[in-house]
Amino acid sequence: MNLEKVIFGFFIVLAMTLNFGFFLGDIDNPNHHHVYELYAAIIVSLIATVLKFGDRTHVGAILLSTSLAADIQLIAAAILWAALDNKMDAANLTAYIVSLSGGALMANFVSVILLISETIGQRR
Amino acid sequence: MNSILFLILRRLRRPLILIIVCFSIAILGLSMMPGLDNNGQPWRLSIFESFYLISYTATTIGFGEIPYQYSQAQRLWLTLSIYLTVIPWFYAIGKIITLLQDSALRQAITTERFTRAVASLKEPFYILCSYGESASVLTRTLDEKGMRVVVIESQQERLNELDLAETRSVIPHLCADAKLPENLIRAGVHHPFCSGVVTLTDNDEVNLAVAVAVKLINPNLLVLARAERDDIAANMASFGTDHIINPYTLFGEQLAMRVHAIGTYILHEWLTGVPGETLLPPENPPRGRWVVCGYGRFGKSVVQNLERENITTTIVEATPELTGCNNCIVGSGTEARTLLEADITNAVGIVAGTDNDINNLSIVMTAYELNPKLFVVIRKNRRHNDTLFKQFNADITMQPTEIIAHECLAHMIAPLLAQFLTLVRTQSNSWANQLISELVSVVGETVPERWAINIQESTTPAITELLKQGIPVSLHNLTQDPSDRSKALNLVPLLLLRDNIPMLVPPVATDLRIGDQILFCGTADAKSGLNISVNNIKALTYIIDGIEVPDSWVWRWFKGFLRTQ
Repeated sequence: MNLEKVIFGFFIVLAMTLNFGFFLGDIDNPNHHHVYELYAAIIVSLIATVLKFGDRTHVGAILLSTSLAADIQLIAAAILWAALDNKMDAANLTAYIVSLSGGALMANFVSVILLISETIGQRR
Repeated sequence: MNSILFLILRRLRRPLILIIVCFSIAILGLSMMPGLDNNGQPWRLSIFESFYLISYTATTIGFGEIPYQYSQAQRLWLTLSIYLTVIPWFYAIGKIITLLQDSALRQAITTERFTRAVASLKEPFYILCSYGESASVLTRTLDEKGMRVVVIESQQERLNELDLAETRSVIPHLCADAKLPENLIRAGVHHPFCSGVVTLTDNDEVNLAVAVAVKLINPNLLVLARAERDDIAANMASFGTDHIINPYTLFGEQLAMRVHAIGTYILHEWLTGVPGETLLPPENPPRGRWVVCGYGRFGKSVVQNLERENITTTIVEATPELTGCNNCIVGSGTEARTLLEADITNAVGIVAGTDNDINNLSIVMTAYELNPKLFVVIRKNRRHNDTLFKQFNADITMQPTEIIAHECLAHMIAPLLAQFLTLVRTQSNSWANQLISELVSVVGETVPERWAINIQESTTPAITELLKQGIPVSLHNLTQDPSDRSKALNLVPLLLLRDNIPMLVPPVATDLRIGDQILFCGTADAKSGLNISVNNIKALTYIIDGIEVPDSWVWRWFKGFLRTQ
């Protein structure tokens, strides 16, 4: 067992689960989506991205790109939230934010699939 | 570029994660701390506001407490945040700055630049695997001739010299070990325009390693290697190294050539010199008994060649058991006693051939005092002793640098030239003298340009077109001036290679055939003139029949119409 691999896998999976947790719920109901959950998802996603830096393998490159895709959508959601809070109707804003986080969820999902496929490919 | 980016990212992983973690803790805590607004209502910073606040606090910009006065709890957390975020922030900045000064990163950047510069070369180039004394002469000459060069050298100081040198075109250079195949590949061994690799370091093992590596990576490349030891030279030859250059053997052969055929020697020097130079007529070494001081590789080569010319030699050697010399006078030759023992007063020449410049100078000065009529041959090892040797002004100063550079140039500028010179050595001295006088009358006394043309579609379209139409083109036509056919260009055809059979100084009446290779020597003007007539069918037709062919199709048709009428 390799501690580095544990931490790496942990952050990738955690990024996906947090993202999923935030995504879960009615798309336009602000009460179903907590701001701290989005915050945690962004932080974990950023850490996962940095952990993928410097891996020169092909799988490493794809993992990094999926992570970057997730980051961009999550940060876009956060910016939207910060900029439009109290300026537009809460249900609409929540729908925007949650749909963006749904996109990020797809990227995180691909990331986890890649991780699993690579693990299976190891044959050890 | 990729590798540099990845290197930076990998190094920055730790500081970046540290910053993210510290920021996230600080932001999270701050957004949870209870506060009161101006109206005394409970109020908290939102996550975005906390992020804004921590960002300006961590970067030490500090805008103050906005929008309201903070509560004690918020201030407490902010105090903690300052220590939590400012320190990692500076740590990360420090890390980035160290990274930029990091030698590994800098090396990666220069290597990357070099690789890109080589890959973008669009014309034939040579790779030089050192930038020592002979390689710098070679680089300068090739650069002046407009040929591209790529340099790999393991000592940065020498490359600094190259950095400061004024060159016509950019010379990509890299400070790296040429023995490593990856560096050779970076320098362009796989490049489609690479014409050859020249390895002239003073370490035979390095030269061998480079020659072997290049022949394994790309067997079609021309490889010129310097080798001073016979076993290394044999090893190189077994790997198909095209030309093995041993400065001592070359000098020995040239000395012998001077003794028995001074004309051939002058021709050789003249045609391998740097274009534009004027050569002084060399002295003819006298026949008689010679004293050779130092029986190392240089001394052995000299003795061997002198004895082939039936010149007797007396050898003076300090360590006869090391050099394998049976019949010699023991001593360094720097003191009069040893030289008198070698009977210097009755000798005609002296060769100071030890590997120590100061000893060599001391030997010849002592010998000169004992016998002022001596013909002096002195070996120069280090270029920075130039002034001393100029001061002494020996009859022949052996400079390995120059010899190696000349030999390489002969092979690199025109491969036919090397073949020509080999053939010249088999000719008599009077033949050589006759050729020299002919050349001097045509091109003057400075070192001429040498170049070869290959009669084929891509290089000489005008000639091949006429030959295909059945119109004979003779060598004489190529020597005519394309602007006025009654005048001759200042050039002389030296060699014609047809079906691998060389023809030395071919008669001008020879008709050309497709596939012929011709070596010319002449002035730079003649070279450009010839370039016009081999490429421009109109110019060539004018030279052959004196008729100006009309340019446009209408005129051509009209002229043909008139002719048929």
